[in-house]
Amino acid sequence: MGGYFKILASERLKMSRSFIVLLLLLSPAISVLVGLMSNIEGADQPWLVLLGVMGMIHALLFLPILSGIFAAFICRYEHHGGGWKQLLVLPVTRTGVYFAKYTVVMVMLAIIQLLFLGAMLLVGAIKGIDAPVDWEIIGRCLAGGWVACLPLAALQLAVSLMWSSFAAPLALNVVFTIPNMLVVNSAQFGPYYPWAQPFIATVPGQAMEGGGFGAMNLPLENLMVTVLGSFVVFLIFGWTYFKMKEV
Amino acid sequence: MRELVIETKDLNKKYRGRYAVRNLNLEIGRGEIYGFLGPNGAGKTTTIRMLLGLIRPTMGSIHIFGKDLRKEKLNILRKVGSLVEYPSNYGHLTAVQNLEAVRRILDVPKSRIDEVLSIVSLTKDAKRPVKGYSLGMKQRLGIATALLGNPELLILDEPTNGLDPEGIHEIRELIRSMPQQHGITVLVSSHLLSEVEQMAGTVGIIREGELVFQDTISNLQQQASGGFRLVVSEPAEALQLIRGQGYAGRLEDGGLRLDQLSDPEVALLVKRLVDHNHAIYRVEEKRRTLEDIFMQVIEQGGLS
Repeated sequence: MGGYFKILASERLKMSRSFIVLLLLLSPAISVLVGLMSNIEGADQPWLVLLGVMGMIHALLFLPILSGIFAAFICRYEHHGGGWKQLLVLPVTRTGVYFAKYTVVMVMLAIIQLLFLGAMLLVGAIKGIDAPVDWEIIGRCLAGGWVACLPLAALQLAVSLMWSSFAAPLALNVVFTIPNMLVVNSAQFGPYYPWAQPFIATVPGQAMEGGGFGAMNLPLENLMVTVLGSFVVFLIFGWTYFKMKEV
Repeated sequence: MRELVIETKDLNKKYRGRYAVRNLNLEIGRGEIYGFLGPNGAGKTTTIRMLLGLIRPTMGSIHIFGKDLRKEKLNILRKVGSLVEYPSNYGHLTAVQNLEAVRRILDVPKSRIDEVLSIVSLTKDAKRPVKGYSLGMKQRLGIATALLGNPELLILDEPTNGLDPEGIHEIRELIRSMPQQHGITVLVSSHLLSEVEQMAGTVGIIREGELVFQDTISNLQQQASGGFRLVVSEPAEALQLIRGQGYAGRLEDGGLRLDQLSDPEVALLVKRLVDHNHAIYRVEEKRRTLEDIFMQVIEQGGLS
């Protein structure tokens, strides 16, 4: 497919030796601190409560912001030194390049989810939670959080491809991430807001004291229909744009 | 019949109703160094971007290696190395890593990296991050990247732009060696004729998006002759005599300026003048420099 795997190998090299690798650790590290400071004693389902506590900042803030940062970053070194020209005169298709770039973003987010899982297990061990890990719920929540990043990452990638500035897509992303705290309160709008989707998918209502609020108690299946629908729209939008782009 | 590596037919690119490139018919033969000349903004880079598939032509066709660029883009690009406008690189990586990022896509052996680095003499600095490079070094790295995939065609857009004289010389020698040593056809663009005439065999001159001249340098040079200058003892009377013989001429700087003449015509004219007791001090051919011709082509859109 237009040299997709070769482009991936090339992308991996370009990502190396950059500060981006540190960003992978940021959210799990902060989540560990938040987890350690939390009080989960006497909880019925300590792992679920831990997920609620640690996942709050992670899914509400870091997942959407990092989706934007990774998307912008992967375009940055191409915009910056005339890299698009160098890359697109090679025997590659634009489709191959586009999907390789998108894959890198999603792989980075998947690594973060795994590190976050590791952070949870670490906090659990330190706190001495002796209840067995509820793999089914936790696995579903973390995987769901990742899937919920698909449309946002596609949207941010499209914007980052369009704007040669690094800061502009990031600013846009932050501006739309901040209202998350309000948006997730709305069962009506929350599920349709790409920046809120990671949180809604990650933290189930039952993880919160008092059963959560707003969009958190909607069935995951409904959310996933919206997520996958918007994912397809944003992905095709970015892909078509990139195919037509004049370099 | 020479084999054409690049052939464009009525190539057009229109931006907002204005033609950046208009009815361009390039013909570049195998093993040639083709100098693509024109002032800044004449459409050189636009043409090159079309040749490389970075932008789509509004109209017209491009054939490279005899294949249609629209249909066989990847097969063509596999055999083309290029440097468009300013050199592209990833500043946070070293030269070796930059080349490796491209090598992974081209799928050539790793040893090729060292080879191209030595061709452009960057071996010594290969392990330093590129952001600390001088413009000349970045330019050379760009050429190394272009050479990485063993191309049959090299497209270099203003490769000596912003270089110091030594750098210009190096790059020029490098380009000159390409057809002989590696059998590579080269298209090199520039806004300076003096740049190109030292390496190119053929030139195409583009002006306001249109190709106004395309021929060999030697044919361009033949058209460089711009008549004769005679210095004689009595210019005014000599002029009358010359006009009487049916030749056009005028007084200029105390001498006579004549249009271009064949050798026998010159001989006859001199004989007539001597017969009429004119003392002849000088007979000079007035050669226009290529630069003059280039300027004329650029200003008037063709050779008169």
